[in-house]
Amino acid sequence: MIRMFDRQRRLRLLLLTFVLASITIVTIDFRTHGDGPLDRLGRVAMTVIGPLQEGLSTIFRPVGNFFGGIGRIGSLQADIELLERENAELRAQQEAVEDITRENASLRRLLVLRDRFNLRTAPAQVIGVSPSNFERVVFINRGSADGVRKDMPVLAGEGLAGRVVEVGETTSKVLLVVDRASAVAARLASNGKTGILEGTGGATVRFELLDPEAEVEVGDRVLTSGYDGGVFPPGLPLGTVVDAPPPHSALSRVVTVQPFVDFSSLDYVLLVTSEERGG
Amino acid sequence: MIWRRALMLVVLGITGLALETSIFGEMTLYGTKPQLLLLVTVAIALSEGPLLGMTAGFTFGLLTDMVLGLPAGVTALTYTLAGYVVGRIRMQMQAPSAWMPIGMIAFATLAAMLFYGAFSLVLGQESLPPGRVLRHAVQGALYNGLLTPFLYPLVRGLGARLRPRAAEVLGR
Repeated sequence: MIRMFDRQRRLRLLLLTFVLASITIVTIDFRTHGDGPLDRLGRVAMTVIGPLQEGLSTIFRPVGNFFGGIGRIGSLQADIELLERENAELRAQQEAVEDITRENASLRRLLVLRDRFNLRTAPAQVIGVSPSNFERVVFINRGSADGVRKDMPVLAGEGLAGRVVEVGETTSKVLLVVDRASAVAARLASNGKTGILEGTGGATVRFELLDPEAEVEVGDRVLTSGYDGGVFPPGLPLGTVVDAPPPHSALSRVVTVQPFVDFSSLDYVLLVTSEERGG
Repeated sequence: MIWRRALMLVVLGITGLALETSIFGEMTLYGTKPQLLLLVTVAIALSEGPLLGMTAGFTFGLLTDMVLGLPAGVTALTYTLAGYVVGRIRMQMQAPSAWMPIGMIAFATLAAMLFYGAFSLVLGQESLPPGRVLRHAVQGALYNGLLTPFLYPLVRGLGARLRPRAAEVLGR
């Protein structure tokens, strides 16, 4: 009985010691404002615990996420819906930004081309393409009311795109150089040999050189020659030679040209309103 | 021998703290994290009595305060009292049921968290509004109660290893 009483007393004594120690620590902490010996010890302990925490987190994070997720099932559903809405909005914004960026690049190329050739031009937007599989034409949002006339050259950022073939009051139809009905007087940039560039209806065009002995190499640039009654100003880029087989006849030589213009993504074009060079 | 076991207690505390601040820190239940070291303290007190309970509580609480940068001494005091009180209650029980550890740990967690909140308020520490303290205390108690069936057997096994230390501390 005495031993038990003694034990109880020792227990209370130890409790009192711990309580007093805790209160002393609280007081020291208050007086040192977080820069006392205990805080330095804490930083040491943190150094020890840090790598252990990191390892445990890496290993058990999926488990923790699973249990954490159970308690948040209701809110997670709402979060998912909110995030899906935000995601859709962001995607739409991203697409708009990409579209604007592409338009911007297209317009910049047009400006470069206009300045390079010092042409008087008017911008137009491609508003439609022909639904027919047999013709390669596009429609633009400029017509006679805007001063558009038949046979006006049409430029895209990379070079000549075609010419106006029909003019409405507010819209016009542009025959692209890849159309089978298109024919453009052209010349090789390397040696000036001339010929006729004709559309094939496909992605490439054929360039029929008047001189069957003309030297042509793959990679040669082809430009407008300006010799066909002034429809196209001279020197406009048309494309590069991608295939130059030997001549088939003694009258001419035909090579295949890849146009510079990407006709699958025409957005903005420039109408050459005047053949006179000037501002 | 006392030092060796004291070291074991510190190592146990550091491991528990690392677990509490990593895996258990991410296992929130309705925004509340489990109080792992409090659970371990109370579990030791339940299995080994008030002496080891309050010793573990003081050690774990002090470690928590130091490492987490909490107001030093407050957690130590809270866990010490929790370990002592639970150990004393356990001593009075003649035939505890299988549910006793769950109920006791949940109740001790609730009481300890409320005491911590109230003591912090008295000290003028930045604290949560009383309503949120109460909510966290209740949820923390439930969470610790849920974890008890998984952790209590483990802690009881560890407590048995620390048992001789009790006699040494008392000078027997």
